[in-house]
Amino acid sequence: MSALYSLLAVLALVAAGLEGGRTGAGRDALTLIVPYAAFTIFLAGFCVRVLRWAWAPVPFHIPTTCGQQKSLPWIRQAKVDNPSSKWGVLARMAAEILLFRSLFRNNRARMAEKRLILGESKFLWLGALAFHWALLLILLRHLRLFIQPVPAWVNGLERLDGFLQIGAPQLYISDVILLAALAYLLYRRFRDPAVRYISLFTDYFALFLLLAIAVSGVLMRYFVRVDVLSVKQFALSLAAFRPVDLRALSPLFLAHLLLVCTLAAYLPFSKLMHMGGIFLSPTRNLANDSRRKRHINPWNYPVKKHTYAEWEEEFHDKLVAAGIPLEDEDAGKAHTD
Amino acid sequence: MQEKLIQIEQEPPRGDWRDPHVEFHKGAMCYSAAAKNLTYLGLPNPRTWQPTDSNWKLPPDWKKIILAGMKERLKKYRSFRLFMDICVRCGACADKCQFYLGSADPKNMPVARAELMRSIYRRYFTLTGRIFGSLAGGRELTEDVIKEWYSYYYQCTECRRCSVYCPYGIDTAEITMMGRELLTLIGCNINWVMEPVANCYRTGNHLGIQPHGFKDSIDFAANEASEITGLKIEAPINRKGAEVLFVMPSADYFATPHYYTLLGYLMLFHQIGLDYTVSAYASEGGNFGFFASHELMKRLNAKIYDEAKRLGVKWILGGECGHMWRVLHQYMDTMNGPADFLEVPVSPFTGTVFENARSTKMVHICEFTADLIHHGKLKLDPSRNDHWRVTYHDSCNPARGMGLLEEPRYILHQVSRRFHEMPENTIREQTFCCGSGAGLGTDENLEVRLRGGFPRANAVRYVKQKHGVNLLTCICAIDKATLPTLLEYWVPGVEVGGVHELVGNALVMTGEKERTTDLRGEPLASAALPASGEMEAVHA
Amino acid sequence: MSAEQAILQRWIERTLKSYPDGMAGFLGEERDPFRNPVGHTLRENLTTLLQELMGTMDQKRVAPALDALVRMRAVQNFSPAEAVRFVFGLRQAVFEVSGAVPDSLATRIDELALMAFDQYMSCREQIFELRAKEIRRRAQYAAFEEGEEP
Ligand code: SF4
Ligand code: SF4
Repeated sequence: MSALYSLLAVLALVAAGLEGGRTGAGRDALTLIVPYAAFTIFLAGFCVRVLRWAWAPVPFHIPTTCGQQKSLPWIRQAKVDNPSSKWGVLARMAAEILLFRSLFRNNRARMAEKRLILGESKFLWLGALAFHWALLLILLRHLRLFIQPVPAWVNGLERLDGFLQIGAPQLYISDVILLAALAYLLYRRFRDPAVRYISLFTDYFALFLLLAIAVSGVLMRYFVRVDVLSVKQFALSLAAFRPVDLRALSPLFLAHLLLVCTLAAYLPFSKLMHMGGIFLSPTRNLANDSRRKRHINPWNYPVKKHTYAEWEEEFHDKLVAAGIPLEDEDAGKAHTD
Repeated sequence: MQEKLIQIEQEPPRGDWRDPHVEFHKGAMCYSAAAKNLTYLGLPNPRTWQPTDSNWKLPPDWKKIILAGMKERLKKYRSFRLFMDICVRCGACADKCQFYLGSADPKNMPVARAELMRSIYRRYFTLTGRIFGSLAGGRELTEDVIKEWYSYYYQCTECRRCSVYCPYGIDTAEITMMGRELLTLIGCNINWVMEPVANCYRTGNHLGIQPHGFKDSIDFAANEASEITGLKIEAPINRKGAEVLFVMPSADYFATPHYYTLLGYLMLFHQIGLDYTVSAYASEGGNFGFFASHELMKRLNAKIYDEAKRLGVKWILGGECGHMWRVLHQYMDTMNGPADFLEVPVSPFTGTVFENARSTKMVHICEFTADLIHHGKLKLDPSRNDHWRVTYHDSCNPARGMGLLEEPRYILHQVSRRFHEMPENTIREQTFCCGSGAGLGTDENLEVRLRGGFPRANAVRYVKQKHGVNLLTCICAIDKATLPTLLEYWVPGVEVGGVHELVGNALVMTGEKERTTDLRGEPLASAALPASGEMEAVHA
Repeated sequence: MSAEQAILQRWIERTLKSYPDGMAGFLGEERDPFRNPVGHTLRENLTTLLQELMGTMDQKRVAPALDALVRMRAVQNFSPAEAVRFVFGLRQAVFEVSGAVPDSLATRIDELALMAFDQYMSCREQIFELRAKEIRRRAQYAAFEEGEEP
C-alpha cells in the first residue's frame, strides 16, 4: 500500500512539473519560488537536524568493537575494526563512509559436499555502494552547470565517466550504474520479505523520487535533448541570485527541477539524513579506550547508594560471627581457616 | 479431504508490524517484578500483576510519563536520538538477531524491534509524524504498545550483534535499554532482573547471599581447592591493605559449572602468590541494574570503587563475566570514577603495566593470565585437559563491547591440546548470543531462550559432529548458567566450562600432589588410560 | 527435476508456510547453515526423511532427522497439531506431483506422523524437566540462604 501511495505521489510531482510550466504563474513558481524555498528548507533543516544530534551529549563510551582490542603489546590489535587511537577511528569512519565496511561484513558460510566453504553475499553492499558513488559523481558533474568557467577537475571527471566513448552524446557509466543500482534496491525492497515487512512510505518514496530524477535526467541527456545552454544560463542565474525568466526551459527540465527540489526539501525530514548522521554515530566514531581514558558524562548525577557503613550496620552481627573484619578492626584478619 | 488439509495448513498471516497486539504465552514470557523488590529500590508503581492480565494497572498518567521520559532521553543520549532518526530500513541487521533466526517472528528482527519505538518517536517527536501520522510511519501510543514493548524488549539480550552489521552502527541494544528504562518508569519490570537488583543492592550480590553465607562458600571452595592439590589454599575476605581487589560474578561461588572456574582462580592466585582480597560488600561483579536502567546500573556498580577505596588496594582484577565487563569497560569509570585513589595496574609478577586499564584501573583476568603465561610464569600441563575437546564461545559483551577475543584463545591454546573453533561467522565479533543474557535467563522464559539459543547450538552441533567437541568454554556467568540447559536440549553431550577451569586443571603447582581427576572430580584422560610408564609408577 | 525432487520441493514449501507470513522467503532461500539455522534444519532433515520414506526406512537415519525437526518446532510457538502437521504435508506434495499417494507410502507417512507426535511429547516433557531442574537449582540456593538465617 505504502509503495503504491509513494509511487502516486512521485507521479503527481512529475505531472506537476511537466504541466506547471504552461502558465506564467506556474513557471515563476517552478523556476523561482520552489528552488529557493527548497534550498532554504534544505539548508536550515539539515543544519537543525545535525546540530540537534551534535548538541545531544554522548554520556557513555559505547563503541561497538568488531575486532581484537588493544591490550597486551604482543597481541595483535584490529586497529581499524577496534580502534584505540584517533587515527584508527578516522580509518574506521573512512572505511565505513567510503566503503560501507559494516555492510561488507555480510559474509556467509555454505556447506557443499560436506565441506564448509566461506563465500560472500554482498549484493546489498554492492548495490548500495554503486548507488552512492554514482550519485556523488553525478552531483559533481552537475557543477558544470553552476560554475563558469567549468573547473578542470569537473571536465576530468566527465572524461573519466565517459571513458567508454559509446554513443553521442557520450554515455556516462555513472548514469548506467545509478539506474541499475536504484532498480536493484527497489527490487530488493519488494522482493525480500523481511525488508518488505519493515518498509514504510518514506522508504519507497525516496527510491521512487530518486528513480524519477535519474530517469528524467537520462531522458534529457540522451533522448529528448534539452537546450543545455539555456539550462546553464538559468542555473548560473539562480546561483548568482539574479534569476532570469527563460522561455526555453523544457517541461521535462522543469519536472526534473521540481523533483530535485522536492528531494532537497524532503531530505531533512527523512531517513535520508543518514548521510549526516553516520559521522556522529557513537558506536562507530569513538576509540575503544574507555579503560585508558576516562570518558566524561556531562550530566552525571549522584545516585542513592547502599553504602558500606549501612551495609556493615545491617549485617554487623553476622559479620562478627563469621569473623569477617569490620571497618575499624585491624586489617588482615580474615583469612580462611 | 485433500483440499481441506491444504486449507488448514494456511497460517493466517501475522500481518502488519504496526499492529501492537501481542499474546503472552506461559513458557515464553517473563514474570513481572514482585512489588517488594520495586519498593525496596524505591522504584515507581510497585503492585501485583502479571503480563497475562488484561489490566496491567499502569499509573493513570502513564502516557505522559512515557512521553516525558522519551523526551528527556532524546536530550540526554545522542545514541538514542540518532538511532531514532537515521535507520534506512535496509534490512542488513534483520537476519543477524538470534531471536529472529530461532523464532522466525518478524518482530524480532532488530530493525523491527527498533521500529516499535521509532514509530512512537515519529508520531510524537517529529514534524512529519505529527502531521501525517501513520503515513509517516507513526503509531499511537496505547496500552497495547506498552505490552508489545514489554514482550519484545524482553526478547532482546542487548547482545549488539545487529550493531556490527548496520552501516550506521545502529545498536538495537541501546534502544532496548531505553525501552526498558521507559518501562521501569511505569513499573513494568521483570522479576528476574529486579530481584537480583534488589538483592545486590542490599547484600552485595544477586543471589542475596549474606556476608556469612558468602564467607562459607568462599571457604568451601578454598577447602576444595586445597583438597584437590594437597596445598593449603586460602581466600582472604575484606582484607585491608591487599594489593589487588578481586571481583567476580556471584554465580562463580554459588553455581555450577561456574564453581570450577572459581577453583581455577583460587589455585592460580595461590600458585603465583597474589596479594589479593575478595570483598563481601562488593561481592558481585555482574550488574543486573544494567538490564533495567542506567541509574540502577550506577547504584550497584558504585560499590566496587567504594570498596576498593575503603580496603586501600592498588588496583582491581575482574573475573569471568560478560555483561559485568561491558559495565566495567564502558561505564564504570564514567559513572563512578575517577578512580584516582588507585594506581595504574601493574602485574607484580611480570612487571607488565596494563596501559589499556590506566584510568579505570581494572584488569580482566584473561588479560592478567595471558600475560603470566606469555612471560613463562606458569607451568602448564595441557595433557590434563585431554579428556576435553574444547571450543570457545565468545560472550557478546567481551566480544562486541570490549574486543577481548585473543586473550582467552591464547590461554586455551596453552592449557589444552584439542581446541577447535566454531564456524567463522558465529564467533568473535559475529558471535551468536546464548539467548539468555540481559536478564532473560529464567526458567519461565525457557522457550524463548531455546529459540534464541538455537543458532548458537547449531554451530556447536557442527563442531561436535566434525571434531567431537565435548566442552564449550566461555567467560560469562550467564552463559555458564544457561547454556548447559540449552545444550542439553539441542546438543546433548557438550558440557560448559570456564577458561580458568581449564587453567586450574593444567596448572602445575609447586608442591601439589599428583592429580588424577580434574576440578570436576572426573578422571583425567591420562589416568583413564594407564599406558605410560609414568602412570604405572603412580599406581605402584 | 525428478519427481522425487519435485515432491521434496513442495514438501519444503508447505512446511515453510507454517512460519509467519513473509518469512518463508528467507527461510527457504538463505542457504547458509549458520545464518539460517531454521531453514537449514528443515531442508536437510526433510530431505533425509523423504529419502528414507521412499527407501528402506532406516531407523538410524529417520529418528535423528525427525528429532531435529520436531525438537525445533516444539519451541516455536506452534500448537501440538501444528508442530507435527508438516508430516502430512508430504501426502499433499506427493498427491500434487504424481496424482495419487501409493498405499504403502501413505502408511509410512501415518507411521511417521505417530512417531513425530511421540517425539513432540518427549521434547515437551524434556522442556518441562529442564525447567523443573532450573527451578530446583534456584530453590537450592534459596534454601541455602534461608538455612543460614539465624
Ligand atoms: S542495518 Fe541499520 S539501517 Fe539497516 S535496517 Fe538495520 S538498523 Fe536500520
Ligand atoms: S541486540 Fe542482539 S538480541 Fe537485541 S535485537 Fe540486536 S541482535 Fe537481537
